[in-house]
Amino acid sequence: MSISTLALTAYVLVWPALVAVVMAVIGQAFFKEWKEARDSGQDIV
Amino acid sequence: MNDSSTVQFGAVTVVLLLVLFYGGTFWISRGIRKKKENADEYMTAGNKIGFGVSAASMTATWIWASSMYASAASGYQYGISGPIHYGLWGALMILFIYPFGRRIRTVAPRAHSIAEVMHARHGRSSQLMLAGSNVVGSVISLMSNYIAGGVLISMLSPFTFIQGVVIVAAGVLLYTLWSGFRASVLTDFIQVMAMLGAVAVIVPFIFFAAGFPAAFETGAGNLTPPQGNFFSSEAFLGQGAPYIAAVLAYAIGNQTIAQRLFAVREDLIKPTFITATVGYGAMVIGVGMLGVLALYLGFEPSGGDVNNIIPEMAASYLPGILLALFFIMIIGALSSTSDSDLAALSSIMMADIYGQNIAGKEKANPTTMLFVGRATMVAASAIAVAFASLQLNILDLLVFVGALWGALVFPVLASLYWGRVTNRAFTVSVIVALVTFIPVRFELIPLVGPVGLLVDILSAVGIAVVLGLMSFGFFGLRVARIVAAVAFLVSAPFVIGFLHDYATLSASLVAYAVSTLVCIAMSFRQKDDFDFSLIRKRTGDFDESDDDPQQPSAADDSLHLSRASRDGAEATDDRKDS
Repeated sequence: MSISTLALTAYVLVWPALVAVVMAVIGQAFFKEWKEARDSGQDIV
Repeated sequence: MNDSSTVQFGAVTVVLLLVLFYGGTFWISRGIRKKKENADEYMTAGNKIGFGVSAASMTATWIWASSMYASAASGYQYGISGPIHYGLWGALMILFIYPFGRRIRTVAPRAHSIAEVMHARHGRSSQLMLAGSNVVGSVISLMSNYIAGGVLISMLSPFTFIQGVVIVAAGVLLYTLWSGFRASVLTDFIQVMAMLGAVAVIVPFIFFAAGFPAAFETGAGNLTPPQGNFFSSEAFLGQGAPYIAAVLAYAIGNQTIAQRLFAVREDLIKPTFITATVGYGAMVIGVGMLGVLALYLGFEPSGGDVNNIIPEMAASYLPGILLALFFIMIIGALSSTSDSDLAALSSIMMADIYGQNIAGKEKANPTTMLFVGRATMVAASAIAVAFASLQLNILDLLVFVGALWGALVFPVLASLYWGRVTNRAFTVSVIVALVTFIPVRFELIPLVGPVGLLVDILSAVGIAVVLGLMSFGFFGLRVARIVAAVAFLVSAPFVIGFLHDYATLSASLVAYAVSTLVCIAMSFRQKDDFDFSLIRKRTGDFDESDDDPQQPSAADDSLHLSRASRDGAEATDDRKDS
């Protein structure tokens, strides 16, 4: 496999990987806020 | 539309998926439902939502179904750099408006819309220009998303286009109507998780199922030299540059973004905007890669319509379960933007029309406001469904709204920093910019000779304005002036005599340039300097029930905006000239 093919493969697949990271960050923050809201007896929004 | 080769789901399966999605979002919104909602929370959730919800909501709102379709179309048309020229600039605009967002929250911490801030800053005509542009923009956005929903449902199921439009509109209204913005932001979390999860799985799956990475070598002949060049100037001039000008205007002028800006806790604005920047960029560029893959594969979308690339790639390479996930992803994207548009429309009618212009701030009845907000959602849905069913070409309308917002960007931002900008300068500059924009955009006069030269010079000024504004937000006036001057001097030799051939880009830049030049010319000699602390006094809560005011932040304190000093301030009120 040539270098350009490898580079194109990385170029296409890096975005879904980044999406997964953002998903983890937002999800973690949301559930932390949800737990805090539940513990304090308030709505999350 | 119901080509037998593309129908992938039976009626029962689609109904189950839609019931799962809209039933789930309705169930979630019921969890926060109050018998008597607070009018301010209906519009901004009390200005105190956290990072997780706000980042999810900002990301979900900025991504609409058209973003994904257009990114893939850009990849298919312009090649490997195409999705970058759609997604990256759109993402960076979220980042570039962050400093302006901080400023807006500092001068008007408890406002509900930028139009309301302009009412406090200038008066009625400026407010109604912004509010009117937002109403038109949000109705068009609603219509566009309902059309996307109708097309998707009719393509992947036995249901007709009209049935699809009505199902989507009813589903969105169902979970948004009672709790308004609160329901919108909470359900955004679920919707963005579905969208992000789908992209994380579907793009790699299609990549390998379609025979990549080997197809990069076997299909390389399907690309023209510009399509295979990551630094293609054709892609930048045809897609990237017009989009930079357009999305800056959309980001500043669009109430759906402003509403989230007013809703998030003030100390969380920065991480929210950064996360939304990365989330939007990665997702939209990731989906756009399907267009690049389609190009390498020599894929021909049905009828040559590039909007069919994504659904047809999905239908061609995904198994049933992932196709269902794809279906939910698109429904989630269009629903999250639609519920944001409904919430934006309702807050404009509640705060800007009823609250500020009909009842007056002090006399506005919160119960009536809530009724106005809900009635607006129902009416807007009905109008959007009616227009969607006509399947109008919305491109011209979108261009017009984009230009209106482009003409508004400098006057709005200058009004937030420069005390000399008057209501008259604001209004006249926007109108003159629009009057100049229309003949350029629609080429009502031949752009040749001196006219073409003038358009090119104004376009170079427009480039300077756009880059200057971006720099100003982060680095201040001095750097912005240097960047604008350098941008003009560097771009002028390339732009003059050339750019008027790209009417869309030229017209947007002319709108920026003219509104800026007129606004500066009319404001420069003004001697009165507006006291920005008055904006805080003139905006704020309509509904004191169940109130939970935030403590002033350190940033607020630094501006010395204590209530005592505000109340005693003898300030210039340029609303007198409105």
